[in-house]
Amino acid sequence: MDLAFTPEERAFRDDARRFIAEHLPGDVRAKVQANESLEKDDFARWHAVLYKHGWAAPNWPSQFGGPGWNAVQRHIFSEELAYGWAPRLPPFGLVMVAPIIMEFGNDAQRARYLPKILSGEEWWCQGYSETGAGSDLAALDTRAERDGDHYVVNGTKTWITFAHYADWIFVLVRTNQQAKKQEGISFILVDMKTPGVTVRPIVTIDGGKEINEVIFENARVPIENRVGDEGAGWTYAKFLLEHERTGTAGVARCRQQLVQLKERLASDGIDDERILDRMALVEIELDALAYTELRTLAAESAGARPGPESSILKIKGTQIQQALTELALDAAGPYADQLAANAYFNYRKTSIYAGSNEIQKTIIAKRILKL
Amino acid sequence: MDFTLSAEQLMIKDSVTRFTAEPPKGDPWPTFAELGWLALGAPEDLGGFGGPLETMILMEAFGKGLVTAPYVAQVVLAGSILRLAERTDLLEALVDGNARFAVAYEEPHARHDPARVATIAMCQGDGYVLGGSKVRVLGASSAASLIVSARLDTHDGEIGLFSVPASAPGVEIHELASEDGHDVAAVGLDNVRVTAIDYLTANGLPILEHALDIATAALCAEAVGIMSVLHDVTLDYLKHRTQFGVAIGSFQALQHRMAEMFTELELARSMSYVAAMTVADGGEGRTRAISGAKIQIARSGRFIGQNAIQLHGAIGMTEEYKIGHYFKRMTTLERLLGDSDFHLARFVASERTPQRTPVTA
Repeated sequence: MDLAFTPEERAFRDDARRFIAEHLPGDVRAKVQANESLEKDDFARWHAVLYKHGWAAPNWPSQFGGPGWNAVQRHIFSEELAYGWAPRLPPFGLVMVAPIIMEFGNDAQRARYLPKILSGEEWWCQGYSETGAGSDLAALDTRAERDGDHYVVNGTKTWITFAHYADWIFVLVRTNQQAKKQEGISFILVDMKTPGVTVRPIVTIDGGKEINEVIFENARVPIENRVGDEGAGWTYAKFLLEHERTGTAGVARCRQQLVQLKERLASDGIDDERILDRMALVEIELDALAYTELRTLAAESAGARPGPESSILKIKGTQIQQALTELALDAAGPYADQLAANAYFNYRKTSIYAGSNEIQKTIIAKRILKL
Repeated sequence: MDFTLSAEQLMIKDSVTRFTAEPPKGDPWPTFAELGWLALGAPEDLGGFGGPLETMILMEAFGKGLVTAPYVAQVVLAGSILRLAERTDLLEALVDGNARFAVAYEEPHARHDPARVATIAMCQGDGYVLGGSKVRVLGASSAASLIVSARLDTHDGEIGLFSVPASAPGVEIHELASEDGHDVAAVGLDNVRVTAIDYLTANGLPILEHALDIATAALCAEAVGIMSVLHDVTLDYLKHRTQFGVAIGSFQALQHRMAEMFTELELARSMSYVAAMTVADGGEGRTRAISGAKIQIARSGRFIGQNAIQLHGAIGMTEEYKIGHYFKRMTTLERLLGDSDFHLARFVASERTPQRTPVTA
């Protein structure tokens, strides 16, 4: 047993740190530090820098233009991004749809989509949830009916982050009304410029304008835009959900938030023991989470696939993120509305998205504990 | 980064699992000596081997087996003090199994803090006279000597450590009832005369704090063993107990509670690893890591213990069922070698002041 990173891993960390410090645009760093929302252009400039260096897609294998890093290197890099106040690039193309196209798409699809995801030329969003299909995602009823060599898509997808920036959307649609609910679902790629596709913004309680509804009205989508087999979309979606949960712990970003909070308390001369004690308790739990993540990572390096254990990271990670925004709110005292309320309201989303924390507990109970 | 066990560590795990499956009748100390467990963490020239990681493996199994022998007190804590104080002669006797030491550091009004010492040591001739009282001394009734902390009337009131024969005139050992079946006593020291040879060090506090951290890491491992039994037995119960015609584990309220217990166990296990590896390194951040680990383990242990009883229902309340005994030991462990309030204060303070480092080790 050994907690230490190898000399090679430490050198890799130094390289990453230096690169981020030198190349992250200063105004973007400042926005991330101030917890301000970022514009498309902010992400795009940083994406371009990373792409030029070959680091835009840490999770991609080298055959598709990724850096070919192992699990530990990916972990170190994501930590350094957080410590350097770099924004997290939107995951919808790079992290979510790309692995599905790699794994289940055909060669033509890989050649058509992957290079532009990697370069940042095309932006993606995720069309999963519907008003009647949240945690019970398989209850979705956006329909895609065959008409010659097209699907005709009708229905409404919701809670879609950055749909207003996106060029493409990957959508779970029902292609067979008669099959059992999981078996009638297919995975299709839709150009946002397709006639009949409308984006309607949804304003959130923190005043944020990140999420949208996407409405499909007789939108015609070529059959060749289906990934994999008709009716197998649910299998692909589950594959994606498992990928999505790893890396949601956000340990390094939490550490940054903590440091920031401590600095603010110190500069305001606040040494209220009750706040310090509460902060310490969150910090301890963050340590426990960090080492649990490292244990998962060590197992992954030894060849294990990310499994249901990642549910622990999702639950605890989001609880800690939320606890930190609560602390910041309480610590800000009379300035809570100005300094901390937006983040507090915004972070309520974390225990809901990517499979609500209650769904994660059910996953642990069923898949790990076999209840 | 590696969380796998070495061949030697696997052997220890193997032998301790066999030990707890069929513990010897009577005093286990000769078996401990024979298996080499009294030499864990001792220098190699005394026949010692391994360190905190090996101790962790041993203690996790002791937790699972609910072993009540005072191993942490008499081997981990006392052994670390003697090693850090460079008393090779006494450590050798400990490793051989010829001498057993208990550590009398805690006092009635100290609230877990080893620095709050009212016991005094007055220099007289070439020895000292000790006076004071100590509480919660673990393993006292089977120890030949007590390692006692006392404030020196010389050395600017520094805290000294003494090895006091348990049979010395003026030493009174009051065995106390304990909920977990462990040997615990209060010790009175009334004009106890000790010689210069019994005087271990004037640098008592840093040594004591360091040794307590090593022992706390061992307790954390024991707690993880206990929590894993509480978890496993409860999970098994949920699968087999039927009510309303179905296994109660099919109810979502109980599934989610069990998932939370699983999560707490994993967090606690991670912190036990960190505690052991930090004291093994002897490196920086020891205070922070150990106090953080102790708090996480106390919180996880309380959650898992209380819910293990709750999910069992009435049977969990009974003396004859095993879950309650694990719960009681876990409840003691929460407060042993510093409760969560003590460690929280220490954790917060560790960010403000650099920790005291011992002169040796």
